[in-house]
Amino acid sequence: MPQIKIYQEDEIPSPSLRIWQVFSSNPFAVLGLWLVICLLLLTVFGPLIAPYTAEQQDTQALLLPPSWDPAGTVEHFLGTDDLGRDIFSRLLHGAHLTFGMALWIVISALSVGLVIGSLSGMMKGIKSSILGHLLDALLSIPSMLLAILVVAVMGPGLENIFWAVGLALTPQFVRSTHLAVREESQKEYVKAAILDGANPLQIFWFVIMPNVWETIIVQTTLAISVAILDIAALGFLGLGAQAPSPEWGAMIAQGLDNLLTAPWTVTIPGATILVSVLSINLVGDGLRTALAPR
Amino acid sequence: MQLLDIRNLTIELDTPQGKVKALDRVSLTIQDGEIHGLVGESGSGRSLLARAILGIPGSNWTIKADRMMLNGRNLLEMNSQERRSIMGSEMAMIFQDPSSSLDPVISVGSQLIEAMPASTGFWWSRGKKRKRAAEKWLHKVGIKDHKKIMASFPWELSEGECQKVMIAMAVANSPKLLIADEPTASMETSTQAQIFRLLSQLNQLHGVSILLISHELETVSQWCERLTVLYAGQVMEAGPTQQLIAKPFHPYTKALLGHIPDYTETTQQKSILPTLPGSAPALQHLPIGCRLGPRCPEAKKTCVKQPILCRKKGRHFACHFPYTNETCHDSTIA
Amino acid sequence: MGKYLLRRLNLFVATSLVLAGVLFYTTGLFPVDRITALSGIVSPSPAQVEQVTELYALNKNTPLQFSAFLQQRLSGDLGISITSQQSVSQELMARLPATLELANVAALLALVFGVPIGILASLTQHRLTQHAIMAMTLTGYSIPVFWLGLTLSLWFGVHLGWLPISGQINLLYEIEPVTGFILFDTWVSDSEYRMAAFLDALQHMILPSITLAVLPFTVVVRITRSAMLNIMNQTFIRAAEARGLSTAKIVLRHALPNALIPVLKHLGIMLGPFASYSIIVEVIFSWPGVGSWLVSGIYQRDYTVIQGGILVVALLIMLSSILIEIVHTATNPISRKELYASN
Repeated sequence: MPQIKIYQEDEIPSPSLRIWQVFSSNPFAVLGLWLVICLLLLTVFGPLIAPYTAEQQDTQALLLPPSWDPAGTVEHFLGTDDLGRDIFSRLLHGAHLTFGMALWIVISALSVGLVIGSLSGMMKGIKSSILGHLLDALLSIPSMLLAILVVAVMGPGLENIFWAVGLALTPQFVRSTHLAVREESQKEYVKAAILDGANPLQIFWFVIMPNVWETIIVQTTLAISVAILDIAALGFLGLGAQAPSPEWGAMIAQGLDNLLTAPWTVTIPGATILVSVLSINLVGDGLRTALAPR
Repeated sequence: MQLLDIRNLTIELDTPQGKVKALDRVSLTIQDGEIHGLVGESGSGRSLLARAILGIPGSNWTIKADRMMLNGRNLLEMNSQERRSIMGSEMAMIFQDPSSSLDPVISVGSQLIEAMPASTGFWWSRGKKRKRAAEKWLHKVGIKDHKKIMASFPWELSEGECQKVMIAMAVANSPKLLIADEPTASMETSTQAQIFRLLSQLNQLHGVSILLISHELETVSQWCERLTVLYAGQVMEAGPTQQLIAKPFHPYTKALLGHIPDYTETTQQKSILPTLPGSAPALQHLPIGCRLGPRCPEAKKTCVKQPILCRKKGRHFACHFPYTNETCHDSTIA
Repeated sequence: MGKYLLRRLNLFVATSLVLAGVLFYTTGLFPVDRITALSGIVSPSPAQVEQVTELYALNKNTPLQFSAFLQQRLSGDLGISITSQQSVSQELMARLPATLELANVAALLALVFGVPIGILASLTQHRLTQHAIMAMTLTGYSIPVFWLGLTLSLWFGVHLGWLPISGQINLLYEIEPVTGFILFDTWVSDSEYRMAAFLDALQHMILPSITLAVLPFTVVVRITRSAMLNIMNQTFIRAAEARGLSTAKIVLRHALPNALIPVLKHLGIMLGPFASYSIIVEVIFSWPGVGSWLVSGIYQRDYTVIQGGILVVALLIMLSSILIEIVHTATNPISRKELYASN
């Protein structure tokens, strides 16, 4: 028997369902989410579906324009660079260098920052201010300067960029976690939990943390986009990934010599970076509006 | 003479659950120079009514009315600019949370001076004149230390002081009508008394009509000459305070009066305070007909039809089964 | 207030010490001789070795070495450049004005255009305008700045040929550097082609400053918009309406001062990314500032330049972020209230 609705009832969705409802009601955010999922898949499976290897040089097809250009061919979908390397394949191979690396950096910076930030947020007095404020010194050093310092010590290379960008991102996580934990721990419901006899660990994990996650999630999406931009910028300056590498920023640097004759060697990797960062920012923006109103 | 005459004002809110009639055919008349009380529970649409009268509606409101006259001018026919120009000069409003009704980053003094009427005279003396006017009004609302108050920021003052400043700003342009939306919420009793006394002084000395909105029938009845009782967006009963208190016609008014703890008679110890059963309906689940229906002790089958607002000897009531034998002929709803 | 200033000063000193410590530690890690890393003298003579060892207390323990290092750096001695063998502090002083000029022009552009557009975005009821502004800011926020710079110079510099794409001024103009700020210098110079030089410098300024302004511009628009949306719903705005004030007066006098407070706060947070971006922009447009100097320093493994440049730039950024915070507190009565509460 079909249920007959006699009363007009309000269904109150669970918090996570509500967040999803708000998030999915924004078409741009959903589009961003799909793009991010595609990017994640490409990061993992990109090298498998790439038609050529990253370094394979087709001497017959130097500086071939993209396939929609009359001079272009379908074999090299996005054209080739000055050494005859297929740009489409290089982009696919580069996805895990730029995007995957950014994810790794953010995850590491997040875990370190979360631990230090919550410790300093829960502690009081001088210990807290040492942990909290001294990292401000690192925070104020621009990521580019930090990268220059790291490269000066360790030499250029993609692995060293991990340290440079990671060191620049960690203080941000420390700071936002510290502030969020601080702010929550001063609220009345935390006091109520203390009066109920909860120990500090319980207060931290069961009382404060559920209300801090949202801030951290938003911060994480922001950090991923910053990390991608930084990795690419360092690759472009030649401080990160080195010349034959298909890292997206390095690809732009390699295409720079042919900027006038073959602008697609610069435009296409740049557009790829733009789209990936944009999609992450769309997701982050959607999450922020979904999480904002209580 | 009637200062404000509203007939059958209906406000529909456009909510995600569909359109909701937050105010349903509300009629309100305010005489020149009277203090009119508007009593109702929270959520009964008192603040909506106040904002609709003043002309600062929310973005999802639809306002319909048969008549909305202020001092012989039709408010419905005015465009937003004309409405804005009579705000402040013809009518003014004070809000429930005075400290957040003042701009937090500008000192109280400069906000006060900004609210003073544009002064005449040489341009170099105008600023001074307005400052003096501001000080004068501060003294009138009972603030002696005008220098300290004018130099401070809103969050440095108490709620009572903020409300006095708000009143000074509202009355400075000598409006005909002052709408006071719960002016004493979250204040101590002594401050409350000060504010009410101030309002009634202004009423007597300057002839300002006041629409006093409150949820406390007890306090409102002390200061108002006439009352209107609102429940869930409908007018239940209206009339002169004395008569209304002495002999309520409407079951809701009677119930409200019954809520006031009675210290004169010997009530039994630990007896339950008389209240209506149930609670006020949410806006999405309004009963049809008389909205008091499900909670009313006198409700019968006929109550699913909305009762018409009866007028009898200066009293108004909307009930099929009033506590009076007089039958109703004159009606506002055909 | 005095106590507050003292605390900020304390914080500045403490963070500067940490920064100096980090730099001192990394100097030991540079893959060159320690004496070269500290002083910049390549293949020093025995006399120079002795002198540097004396200056930096290299034969003593680490804390003493650190204090000697601090003394040297604080007295303004940043060593000499490994490649050019010139004093690092002099090279830095010659390049700093160009960087500051570019950064200030870009920041000014961002504020002058960002704040009104943010207000517009918050006030407009038109959904299309809102979406357009949001899409624009999100794209500006996501665009890689080096790519943007390249694309702009490709279009406006090469294809259209409207604007110069490299350097600060055409080399034909010989302008006596007075302050180092090229716009100012050309304006006050007494040569007969003063006006032409000024216009040329202005043209050189356009592309780099626009490229650099994109990031702060988008941030300013977004922050202004969200702050305005928040504030226009407050009771005091409704109270101001009820008093019969005009919409323009409400926005300009009551809403805007409240909305600019978070904008100012975010300016301080943005300084770091802004500096990173300005380094990239300087490299792309061959702007003779600190950024391109530092990058060429790293290409040539010029450790004294890297060290000195990072020290000075980071100190400047720390100082200005603390200054912004102080201005924020001083101009904002609400944060002063929080100050009362915390003490």
